[in-house]
Amino acid sequence: MPDQLSQELGTYEANIDALLGAHEGKFILIYQDRILGAFDNQMDAITRGYDELGNVPFLVKLVTKVDVPLSFVSNLLAV
Amino acid sequence: MPSFTTQLPNLQALGPVVDMRVWVGTAVENALKKAGASIPQPVPAKGMIDTGATSSVVQPALAKSLGLQPVGIVNISTPSSANVPCHQYLVRLVFPNSVVVETLAIEAPLQGQQVQCLIGRDVLAHGVLVYTGYINQFTLSF
Repeated sequence: MPDQLSQELGTYEANIDALLGAHEGKFILIYQDRILGAFDNQMDAITRGYDELGNVPFLVKLVTKVDVPLSFVSNLLAV
Repeated sequence: MPSFTTQLPNLQALGPVVDMRVWVGTAVENALKKAGASIPQPVPAKGMIDTGATSSVVQPALAKSLGLQPVGIVNISTPSSANVPCHQYLVRLVFPNSVVVETLAIEAPLQGQQVQCLIGRDVLAHGVLVYTGYINQFTLSF
């Protein structure tokens, strides 16, 4: 797990039930332990994050019951 | 219609590789300007168009040289790994003829590869890719 955004991911997981109840399908903006807003559009959430916080790590995450991984059919990524 | 065409000595051997640049996303540039910080120059990179990639990919060194901070985490799966978490960065991909596409790219090692960037279906979703193998040429139009 990458070190950066681990706190934000922890905030998401700690509030997942409430987030699913209120914002399933939306993009949540999280900075450290604060949930700053819910957005219909991922880019809107990211733009708000940069506007309010500047060039710092923050998490924009889709609120969903199941995270579907992105697939890559080659091993070029070397992960 | 913005587009670029690349011709290679051996398209089959090299793959659809293009000399491009990676730059900070628009919102990043605006945030840096607001803070009075300098805007990094676009970083040259070799990118390969990969129709098997759900998302575009950049090497960690590219993201670091641009001073980018992560704005997302997604899990990825490849033929040899499953559910590996990777950071996402807001970038602009600058292609020949000043064709620019803004996207969220994930960070991955791309170790041992001749490219520093993969151009995935997130970019292709906005355009038309024509791959003309018998003349070692490909065109990407938006």
